[in-house]
Amino acid sequence: MKPTMSPQGQAAQTISRNMKLISHNELAGFGGIGEGINMQVTKDGRRILWLAHESAPKNFTAVDVSDVKNPKVVCQTDLPHERVRSNSLDVVGDIMVVAYQTKKVGDKPAGMDIFDISTPEKPKLISHFDASGPHSRGAHCVWFVDGEYVHLTSGSADFEPTHPNDFQFYRIIDVRNPSKPVEVGRWHYPGTHKGDKEAPPPRHPKFDGGYRPHNINVFPERPDRAYVAYLDGGAVILDISDKANPKVVTNWRYSPPYNGFCHTVMPLLGRDMLLVTDECTKDDGLDWPKLGWVVNASVETNLVPMSTLPLPPVENFAKRGGRYGAHNIHENLPGPASFRSSSLIVGTFFNGGVRAFDTSNPYQPQEVGYYVPGAHRLSPKGSIQINDVWVDEKGLIYTVDRFAGGLYIIEMEV
Amino acid sequence: MLDALSGKFPVSVVTGFLGSGKTTLINRLLKRPDMNRVAVIVNEFGEQAIDNDLVEVSSEQMMLLNNGCLCCVLRGDLQETLRDLFVKRRNGDIIDFTRVIIETTGLADPAPVMQTLMTDDMLLANYRLDCVVALADAVNGIEQLDTMQEPVKQAALADRIVITKSDLAGEEATAKLEARLRTLNPQAPIRRAINGEIDLAFLIDVGLRNTKAKLADIERWMGEPDEHGEHHRHDETVKSFCLRYSEPMSWASFSQTMEVLGALRGSDMLRVKGLVNVAEHKGPMVVQGVQHLFHPPVELAAWPTDDHSTRIVFITRNIPRETVANLFAAIGAVTATA
Repeated sequence: MKPTMSPQGQAAQTISRNMKLISHNELAGFGGIGEGINMQVTKDGRRILWLAHESAPKNFTAVDVSDVKNPKVVCQTDLPHERVRSNSLDVVGDIMVVAYQTKKVGDKPAGMDIFDISTPEKPKLISHFDASGPHSRGAHCVWFVDGEYVHLTSGSADFEPTHPNDFQFYRIIDVRNPSKPVEVGRWHYPGTHKGDKEAPPPRHPKFDGGYRPHNINVFPERPDRAYVAYLDGGAVILDISDKANPKVVTNWRYSPPYNGFCHTVMPLLGRDMLLVTDECTKDDGLDWPKLGWVVNASVETNLVPMSTLPLPPVENFAKRGGRYGAHNIHENLPGPASFRSSSLIVGTFFNGGVRAFDTSNPYQPQEVGYYVPGAHRLSPKGSIQINDVWVDEKGLIYTVDRFAGGLYIIEMEV
Repeated sequence: MLDALSGKFPVSVVTGFLGSGKTTLINRLLKRPDMNRVAVIVNEFGEQAIDNDLVEVSSEQMMLLNNGCLCCVLRGDLQETLRDLFVKRRNGDIIDFTRVIIETTGLADPAPVMQTLMTDDMLLANYRLDCVVALADAVNGIEQLDTMQEPVKQAALADRIVITKSDLAGEEATAKLEARLRTLNPQAPIRRAINGEIDLAFLIDVGLRNTKAKLADIERWMGEPDEHGEHHRHDETVKSFCLRYSEPMSWASFSQTMEVLGALRGSDMLRVKGLVNVAEHKGPMVVQGVQHLFHPPVELAAWPTDDHSTRIVFITRNIPRETVANLFAAIGAVTATA
């Protein structure tokens, strides 16, 4: 590849700072990965990275990364049809939960599968949690870290939204008996369910992303709190000390004036702060700015933004093709192979690649490294679209392309 | 988590008098496959300038070479050019260079170039001085050193010295120049190069790349051990010496000593580099200064060996070893051990 100074040419070039590629795996040609990454340490000591695909035909892929220089695909499964995607998964011990979201309401499978992955080559289905319904498209995201409860972004048979874009809500699923998952609590944004006494919330005037939860964070260190990113509803903190009756602690709504799609609300444990990310959902910079926010949560009922993660100018990256802006971050999940830091944030920014930030000074976060792979030859957007990231306990970064590139394993040199 | 050194782009400064072969050397370096991500800052694109094939010229100031390197003309000041390069790189406007080479003009004093990297916060955060390479032409070198100040200073400040045109000058003249350069700067290893042919390893990764530096890295950076104490010819004004202290000193006594020296004799303190054993710090402090300016100290993760003694190399103009040693003794109540 000849170097070039044109933006389209630049999209073909890998750019990096303080990060170095260790290995790359195209996942047997199915290199489009969604928002589910988790690492299992098997009883025989292998390190297995589980990846949920962004769209059909593949469901999930397991990659043995025990030797990070030679990652090997050990399992890759198919979805039953093209009208469903998995997108999200989580692993605790040898149990994996996988979300299923359909393209249209009423379709199946919609909900969540629970697998026994004690033999990663042969995942065994334990049970299916059905979340289908006449107004449901199933589940978009799972959060499962304690082995007991799945915090699920999902519709249900008995939920009829007041607006068709608001088809998912927050459900707490007890999986202590994994063969019989059962809902024990739920919460939806006031006004989004038919029959609510509250009026439906206002639609975003420019980009109606809807009122649905995206990621939900619940940490063992703070079991009475659910940190819910509610798309155009902004960041919501719920008191879930009584799981049957979640109560609103606070809601930080910042769109408009911003462009909605609040994606992740991660508490920076021990710091009384949140790291909130948006999701860029439009190509070519149309919905810019899509940011990572550092938020003061020391008074939980009055969330105040302190800064945003510094990014290169949209003028430069929007021209490269596809989306450019914030999306997933490594969410400090508990577990034996997960990096945990309340100050170093690693996030994905579509054609802005994977980027790391030091937030020790929350008023002036510093970018400390980035890796932007050159566009994959099969990329439909002409650029890389880095979608999700996992950081292991050693600080190695596992990041994925949304469409074609597969898995990139990267070492931070900071 | 952040290493104070590893994330910074290394900067090599290539200095040397008119006709000493700076451009030839840089051209040869850029032809190497492992030097394909370099931003070169030159004074002008001229007939003698970088001759790598051009693939694209983005502006009067910048052009892309076919090996992936970027060539950039210094406009205004160096500070502005280095800042601009960093911002353009991060914005994805230019290649993601991994190294910067600055070619100074033949008449340039390299000290201000080195100081630029120490005085600007943004440059301090993103670049580090890797190596000052001084070229000396074997045909004209002796005469230049005898008649002008600039080449003397270029050689005195260098981390590495390359003698060029030895094939034209002959062995006797070359050996004479080499001996003269060695007295000016005994720490800097000297090599000969004909038509820019030189082992790349001699010139790159001379500075400390991270805070986990090993003994070999430190020795490489500090230069050849000074076995003979103070070096100077009777008529040479440039002196070089190394002070060693076995006992830890307080940071206050070190910095006050340097401040006093800087205030009184700043322009004659050509270069200072070393490791300081600062009381109550686990690793050695890396210190480096050019005239009156010092880089903020960087603490290494650990001492490379059991020898925890402070060792500081001074290259000065007419400041004898005793003056500096006495000042250390007066301010810090320490005793030199060598």
